[in-house]
Amino acid sequence: MSVKSSDAQEAWEPKILAFCCNWCSYAGADLAGLNRTQQPPNVRIIRVPCSGRVDPQFIMRAFQDGVDGVLVAGCHPGDCHYSTGNFFARRRFLLFQRIFDYIGIDPGRLQNRWISGAEGDKFAATVSKVTEDIRALGPNRKLRDEHE
Amino acid sequence: MSDPSGEMRELAKKLLENGEVDRIIGWEKGNLWYQSPPLFITRAEETDRLVFDDFAINSLVTYLLDERDSGKKTGIFVKGCDSRGLVRILQDKQIARESVYVIGLPCSGKKDPRQALSSGASESSQVPPAAKCEECLYPNPVIYDVIIGEAVEAKAKGDRFAAVKEIEAKTADEKYAYWTSQYSKCLRCLACRNVCPACNCRECAFDISKPRILAKENNLSHNMVYHLTRAFHAAGRCVECGECERVCPMGIPIMQLNKKIIKEINDLFGPYEAGVKLDETPPPLGTYQTSDPEEFM
Amino acid sequence: MKRVGVFVCHCGSNIAAVVDCERVAKEAAKFPGVAFSIDNKYMCSDPGQDLIKKAVEEHHLDRIVVASCTPRMHEPVFRRATENAGINPYLFAMTNIREHVSWIHTDREKATEKAIDLVRMAVAKVLHTVPLEKSSIPITKRALVIGGGIAGMQAALDIADNGNPVVLVEREPTIGGKMPMLDKTFPSLDCSACICTPKMASTDQHPNITIYTHSEVERVDGYIGNFQVTIRQKAKYVDHKICTGCGLCETKCPNKKIPNSFEAGMGNRTAIYKAFPQAVPNKPIIDAANCRKLTKDKCGVCAKVCPTGAIKYDDQDELITIDVGAIVMATGYDLFPWKEAYGEYGYGKYPDVITGLQFERLVNASGPTSGHILRPSDGKEPKTIVFIKCVGSRDDVKGKAYCSRTCCMYTAKHAHQAVDKIEDSHVIVFYMDVRTAGKGYEEFYQRTVEDGVHYVRGRVSKIYQLGDKLIVRGEDTLLGEAVQVNADLVVLATAMVPSAGSGEIAHIVGFSTDKDGFYQEAHPKLRPLETFTAGVFLAGACQGPKDIPDTAAQGSGAAAKASAVLSNRSMETDPLISQVNDAVCAGCGVCVGICPYRAIELKEITQRAGGKTIARRVASINSGLCQGCGACVAACRSGALDLKGFTNQQIMAEVDALCL
Repeated sequence: MSVKSSDAQEAWEPKILAFCCNWCSYAGADLAGLNRTQQPPNVRIIRVPCSGRVDPQFIMRAFQDGVDGVLVAGCHPGDCHYSTGNFFARRRFLLFQRIFDYIGIDPGRLQNRWISGAEGDKFAATVSKVTEDIRALGPNRKLRDEHE
Repeated sequence: MSDPSGEMRELAKKLLENGEVDRIIGWEKGNLWYQSPPLFITRAEETDRLVFDDFAINSLVTYLLDERDSGKKTGIFVKGCDSRGLVRILQDKQIARESVYVIGLPCSGKKDPRQALSSGASESSQVPPAAKCEECLYPNPVIYDVIIGEAVEAKAKGDRFAAVKEIEAKTADEKYAYWTSQYSKCLRCLACRNVCPACNCRECAFDISKPRILAKENNLSHNMVYHLTRAFHAAGRCVECGECERVCPMGIPIMQLNKKIIKEINDLFGPYEAGVKLDETPPPLGTYQTSDPEEFM
Repeated sequence: MKRVGVFVCHCGSNIAAVVDCERVAKEAAKFPGVAFSIDNKYMCSDPGQDLIKKAVEEHHLDRIVVASCTPRMHEPVFRRATENAGINPYLFAMTNIREHVSWIHTDREKATEKAIDLVRMAVAKVLHTVPLEKSSIPITKRALVIGGGIAGMQAALDIADNGNPVVLVEREPTIGGKMPMLDKTFPSLDCSACICTPKMASTDQHPNITIYTHSEVERVDGYIGNFQVTIRQKAKYVDHKICTGCGLCETKCPNKKIPNSFEAGMGNRTAIYKAFPQAVPNKPIIDAANCRKLTKDKCGVCAKVCPTGAIKYDDQDELITIDVGAIVMATGYDLFPWKEAYGEYGYGKYPDVITGLQFERLVNASGPTSGHILRPSDGKEPKTIVFIKCVGSRDDVKGKAYCSRTCCMYTAKHAHQAVDKIEDSHVIVFYMDVRTAGKGYEEFYQRTVEDGVHYVRGRVSKIYQLGDKLIVRGEDTLLGEAVQVNADLVVLATAMVPSAGSGEIAHIVGFSTDKDGFYQEAHPKLRPLETFTAGVFLAGACQGPKDIPDTAAQGSGAAAKASAVLSNRSMETDPLISQVNDAVCAGCGVCVGICPYRAIELKEITQRAGGKTIARRVASINSGLCQGCGACVAACRSGALDLKGFTNQQIMAEVDALCL
């Protein structure tokens, strides 16, 4: 399925990329699956060891490539498997969201959540909420690399 | 302000003669009245070429990076803004403090050659002060081995973030339209990167092929990623010297993004001025507080 | 040309009921680099794993992608299967189409499309993988225990019993810590010294344990299995090899009025001293600051009377270096400095307002009053005694927000002892709550109440001296009325805080402390004895307030952890760690401060630049310390750092593949 062709169609579906840390949020996604908690099928997860691994470069690339929204999820502050990774992630993305807002990209398109391995329901609810938010914002064209 | 050129020449001459430094970086008078380009000298008899006039606007500190492996000692002249760039380079461990003899020059503002040209002026007094100097907070060098001249008072007036706030007040689409109109002008000449004291990596991320951050083609999307990436790499490290914007041949308001980041860092993580104290803690994105704002929930 | 094999698992009907696995496999066959693609009922079964092996042989595959369940479960299984098929186990990528697709979606079309996307991303990732090898680091079979209290002794004994040598470093002149200072232990009322001093002797006599008392750890380098430790043996001025511990010097020392910290300031000692009669080692040291010979070059009596000539006035500090494989931290606690914070209790200006630890010495048969409870001011027996709990605990304004856990029980014990020892006594306890979680604790507390101890719920707001009485004013919050007690003695249950200098030693060893300065455990629930620094473990009150049974249990637990490290000659390290591209690294060092494991340092390299050889510093990863979080990688502007297995290029390829 190609994003570019699909958003020309009437049945546009948001395409959302999620970065999930292996120890909490990815485990939370697994738990949601284990509990068979239904979610919209719009999110694709990239597993990373820690939210502190997520480079804003990846997010810019995703928007260039044509995703409509990005979710970065990690362990709750204080619970990071690596002790401090999510504190650095928090600073990085607090700032990056404001930069996005400043250049005119709706901050709703880049969301961050703390989701523990025990929070399957929260993971599912987050996926639903983010999908709804992005659907409401419509297809994203900003930052997109049209010449690719 | 009296002309410090005499003192500068005398000192530079002494430093070269007694072998305390291997070379001197300063400014000389160019061919045109509105140009004072950088001067690199290694011999005492050349020191008479040194000047410090209205157009000695260039920061010289990034030239130190060219000599970072030479083992040579450089005597360098710095204004207030330049000195913060020097602190940046020292904090990033790109040169050793001992490899540089810093001669501080308090500065009450310089003039931009391009403004001189565009204003049709025929002498310096007709040229307005350079834009970047209007918002100067640090007219006096923050680091030096010796200082020439009297300290001057900061003349920054008004709100340092006024331009930022103007943009913030726009709607998302207006903001995007504004920035795309700016970034679509970008030639990707990399002048802003090359002059930036915070861009002091040996190999720039943009020049690395695995992975390639930017396509070679010049298009709006990649131009935006270029500017956002550079601003983010300089986040918490930008010393507000304004050189990026000054050298941009297309007049892109690069500092408006850098200033936004400075404003947000101050809001989010507490007051912070980059490149002011040599022995300060890591830049804001290299550290954290458990009590940082919690918006992600 | 890379040849990827894609294997799509049905997981019985778990995946296949929602995802069209056959279609996923067919689509995958079209992706660039894919040489073979198939779906299968159960990939994790033996036939499934054999399928990988056969396909590798028949189709000359060099990379494997499995689309099945969560990699958090079966990634090791498929890595092994990849390895068994003759491919480096890291030339493998796994994607989750069960928990993240079939179990959470019902729309077959959309679920199948999502599965195809995920497989495309995994293929893109695996195309950028390189073979990785596990490396092995040697293990020094020796442990270091820092702190010789009950936690440290227990840990040392258990490691030593496991057959490994232990070096125990104690700052004080004797091991034992705080426990020998106590009189009785709750709830059994065992004599504390009677159960503690044999443990001290066992520690001393164990052939596998080397004790350095009056010593401090000054420097720690290295990493798990390979720590280099520098210990400063402070000058003792007594040659313990010659000294027999006869004690004659102590009786002859003219300087007898030095407050003895072992007596919590309630008794004195001499300048040449043992902290208490059962001290281990049972030999004295000279307190240089109070010795007339060492300060004024006068006296010298101890040297004259010593029958063995063991006194060495010219003794010097000595630095000892040892290699160890694991470290147990057992630095214990101190009491909250209440005199600096509690003006309403007199800032320490009333001699008859004392701490619980001082009360322990008063009630102890070997203490300064030979076990008679006599008040410090006039040596009279107090009749009315007030105990105040939570002094510094549960008070985030003046003290600490946390509960110190032991005070409820030791105050009950003290109150019981006061009632027991003093006839016609009147004992009042001011409390906020009574917390008695522990075996036999609630029963003990109930007994104390039955003994006639009067519990008043409320904080004391003011203490002041009137004649020879201490007027204690507070409120009974249950009755809602003011209370005033004319007391003879007031005992404060002061909070436990990390022992003085514990932050410095944490910094030296290289792990973090929490907001209160206690040592930070790696996980509050599941890794309570570990730190974030591999090979460094925690025992006892250095990690948080705890009583003796919990402390002893942690000592044994930390010993088990340390022994597990020491049980092997070498250990394998995960190859999924950070790496540095020296040519790109500018040596700015931002990564050094970000690494929670101190795994990065700047090292000097030489390289050719501009036609000559130059020396410069670049980041260097210690593979024994790096845990592979990647925080340094995201902070590296130039891209000189990368995380093996999650490289920038791999993640970018995954991102790109999502939108192809």
